[in-house]
Amino acid sequence: MDGARQNLFNLIRVQKDLEKISGQILARLPRAGDLVADIADLERDTQDFIYHWTEVIALSNEELAAHFIAKAPLAFRFLEEAAVEGWIIKAMDAFDNRGLGFAIEIFDDLQGYVDAHQQHQTGCRFDQVAGLLRYLVRGLGGRALQLACEPMAYTDTERICLPPTLGAFPERDENARLYKCTAAFLWAQNRYGTWRYRVLEQAIRQLDAATTWPIYQRLETVRLTACISRDLPGLAREMATIAHADEAARESWERFTAQAFDLCAIDAGAEHCLQRVVDFIGKPLPPPLQYQGEMLPAKVREVLFKRVPREKAALQQALASLQQELGNEQSQDPESGPTGDAANRFSISTTESPGGAADFESLEFNDRAVPTGPELEALLASILQDLGEVEDDYLNAGTLGDSYPASAELGQGPGMELGEFDHGSRVELYPEWDYTRQRFREAFCALTEQDVPFGNEDFVVQTRAKYQGLSKSIQRVFEAILSEAQRQKKQAHGDELDLDALVEAHVDRLQGREMSDRLYTHFRKSGRSVAVMFMVDMSGSTKGWVNEAERESLVLLCEAVATLGDQYAIYGFSGRTNKRCEVYRIKTFDEGYSSNVRRRISGMAPKAYTRMGVAIRHLGKLLSAVPARTKLLITLSDGKPEDYGSYRGRYGIEDTRHALLEVKRSGIHPFCITIDKEAQSYLPHMYGASNFTVVDEVHKLPYKIADIYRRLTT
Amino acid sequence: MPFTHNFEKDHSLNTASDAAERMIEDEPYYEPAGGEIEVFTAAYRNQLPVLLKGPTGCGKTRFIHYMSWVLHRPLVTVACHDDLTAADLVGRYLVRGGETQWLDGPLTHAVRTGAICYLDEIVEARKDTSVVIHPLCDDRRILPIDKLGQLLRVPAEFCLVVSYNPGYQSVLKDLKQSTRQRFVALEFNYPDTEHEQKIVATESGVEAETARRLVKFGIHTRNLKGSGLDEGASTRLLVNAAKLITNGIAPPLACDTAVGHALTDDPEILHAIHELAAAVF
Ligand SMILES: Nc1ncnc2c1ncn2[C@@H]1O[C@H](COP(=O)(O)OP(=O)(O)O)[C@@H](O)[C@H]1O
Ligand SMILES: [Mg+2]
Repeated sequence: MDGARQNLFNLIRVQKDLEKISGQILARLPRAGDLVADIADLERDTQDFIYHWTEVIALSNEELAAHFIAKAPLAFRFLEEAAVEGWIIKAMDAFDNRGLGFAIEIFDDLQGYVDAHQQHQTGCRFDQVAGLLRYLVRGLGGRALQLACEPMAYTDTERICLPPTLGAFPERDENARLYKCTAAFLWAQNRYGTWRYRVLEQAIRQLDAATTWPIYQRLETVRLTACISRDLPGLAREMATIAHADEAARESWERFTAQAFDLCAIDAGAEHCLQRVVDFIGKPLPPPLQYQGEMLPAKVREVLFKRVPREKAALQQALASLQQELGNEQSQDPESGPTGDAANRFSISTTESPGGAADFESLEFNDRAVPTGPELEALLASILQDLGEVEDDYLNAGTLGDSYPASAELGQGPGMELGEFDHGSRVELYPEWDYTRQRFREAFCALTEQDVPFGNEDFVVQTRAKYQGLSKSIQRVFEAILSEAQRQKKQAHGDELDLDALVEAHVDRLQGREMSDRLYTHFRKSGRSVAVMFMVDMSGSTKGWVNEAERESLVLLCEAVATLGDQYAIYGFSGRTNKRCEVYRIKTFDEGYSSNVRRRISGMAPKAYTRMGVAIRHLGKLLSAVPARTKLLITLSDGKPEDYGSYRGRYGIEDTRHALLEVKRSGIHPFCITIDKEAQSYLPHMYGASNFTVVDEVHKLPYKIADIYRRLTT
Repeated sequence: MPFTHNFEKDHSLNTASDAAERMIEDEPYYEPAGGEIEVFTAAYRNQLPVLLKGPTGCGKTRFIHYMSWVLHRPLVTVACHDDLTAADLVGRYLVRGGETQWLDGPLTHAVRTGAICYLDEIVEARKDTSVVIHPLCDDRRILPIDKLGQLLRVPAEFCLVVSYNPGYQSVLKDLKQSTRQRFVALEFNYPDTEHEQKIVATESGVEAETARRLVKFGIHTRNLKGSGLDEGASTRLLVNAAKLITNGIAPPLACDTAVGHALTDDPEILHAIHELAAAVF
């Protein structure tokens, strides 16, 4: 076939493809002919990508889809597929949140998106480094600092705030390094006592924002740089490589440092810097270091004012309950230790560390060291970080019960009162993974557990009758598994003789052959230790056959799983937006397969959307509390994660994938049983290549499910 | 006469009990944390069994080696695992060429020879092992061997030591009260900074300054416990890294390979651990 004819065929095929998607979309396009030619030039995969998204967008709005497809071939000339997807999602989000006009503008202004995207390629975004920096800062030690994205780089002693992008350097890696050094420097302010309560108050009183703060800031920078070089020389070397914008800046810093060299001493603290400020008034200052960020004393003070009394109360409470425990021990052992309240006294030992900081070492009660858990240690470390010492009145154990009111810290959450949902069930907040920003949206999803209304138990009776043969054979298979798992035959050692093996051996001997010495059976008592959580899709899309097949499968499964003695629970899940995520209790781990459970299975009805991540996090948490060697989270579903708003598409898939990774880390094996034939395109990414199975016809589900379960657990 | 048996050499005894018995000839290097040698010695003299509590790689095994040398007793070590049954510890009949033959398990062997028997990671063993452990640990001091119909009286030289890592927060891996209460417990933890530096330097031959930085790095990784890591670097891992360094591997690479990858597979945490190593060197 020659090239021209090939070309023509291509054109015709594309034309047909486009008509198939929707003739109406095509009709909206001014130059449909050109578009066909442009698309025909693209790779087959790319074409499919465009068709797929055109269809998806058209579900929301056809006009928007037309704007997309008109620009799509051009977009591929400038952008990678992932970036094109980012462009689409941006437009879809705009559509969901702001309306059609804004969304169309995003598609039409392809150039604007391309420019911004290229800027991002050399710049570094906060979300690209946030995960790493969070671990890095945590590893460096001290109070557990959160990372936050704000326009300015500064710390308020609870968070390290960093700007959304950094682009000062021409290379992305260098910008990433700038992020790291900034975070490390702000960590150092916390670690080496820049924000110690007393010194901060003094600085606020003495200094003037316009004239003397900049001096103080430079002096602190000299001191902190010395601290970092002492403790973290490798990091200090790296910081030095990007500290200055040019040679002149470096020289001016060196001169300045030489004048303030006493601040590099190991015991120099922020108060020394404060004392030296007067010496530099009116003298020229070096430019700030590239990574030093801002100092915002007002922000710090605000945080400090809340934290100091809160931690004082928390410490007194912790000590009170510790004292009670110790008291109990002592009363069992009357010979040791002084008795009577007057003698009961806590004290703490600290070690000096550079920058005048003090590190917690041990806690003593009546001069004897007492064990401290990680929480109490973190609390003491935090107090020491603020105050440099733990004053005596902190160590007066409070009375149990008068707790400091928890402030409404979960600010940016789903915007509702915590604790009570409209029907009085408890609300739990879960994070959600935002892949576009590569970070969690903390406390973003509000989830409640709900009861399923009872249905008619007849359903169970009918199901049993319908699958009578099947249910018997399932039963037999499962009983066999059980005895197989318990008794291992032909073992070299064991608790009982294996008669079959013995007869064989005897025959061998009679025939003059060598006998086997594997003559025992070995009993594995309670060899099985399995707990399973069935997580059943109750989204609206399961309405009809799917829901029925799910319910029938559960009836068959319950009886089989009970035979094996495995612990299991069944929960449905659905939801509408992050504010209303719901799981439905059908059977908890504590319940037997009771008549109530059967009635709830019958009563399972389709609800709303499929926000999967939060359900996985919640049910995974329940499952991990169950003692069992093997834990399985089995999802029964009919399709992709999907919810109103931005949860559709890649976002939902990535959140679900992340949630699965989280539960895997806690030792749970996730598995998905689905009836979505398209599943191959997204399930491997979420569950891993071999952790799902597609049942191609709904009505086969009940027949397959027991078998799937058997394969999974033996 | 007691039936002795060399567990290391006999390949036919593949009971998977991973037992080894030996006399410790040379003084093992052990850096005491404070008090544990005296407590152990006192427990031994009073025929009390000992429980060593603590995370993996913090010196429990080394301590037992040392004590076995101090007390001049052979040491039988059993690494427990989830297939280890009472029979694996006590012994069993084997059929060989038509003959049945009794073979002592490591515990019986240790009782007969008056050795120190160290059951490492006791919670991993099957629950039925408590049937033999309990009568050994109270004032009965006997080892019942049902299959032989014998009750072995335990000699004064014998000592049972078990280890247990309370860090696994699994309910299943909790030591039962009825077992726990029979032991004198010694708590082990990562050595304090000074001791740990000395251990790392002595075990590997790295310079004091390198050891100091390695230990610092170790503490940074321990800060990640609970936020990303289940455990931070143990002394064992730091010693391993130090050994790589004495063989010419660059310190950050040694930390990555001997510590980072031993702790996690998560790329982001690995990256952070790498940065922490780079920061201290
Ligand atoms: N107190 C110590 N004295 C000497 N070496 C130690 C000490 N603690 C730990 N080590 C080193 O750490 C390694 C691991 O210790 P080990 O006793 O095997 O740990 P555990 O039995 O607690 O898992 C040892 O091989 C040794 O190199
Ligand atoms: Mg060990």
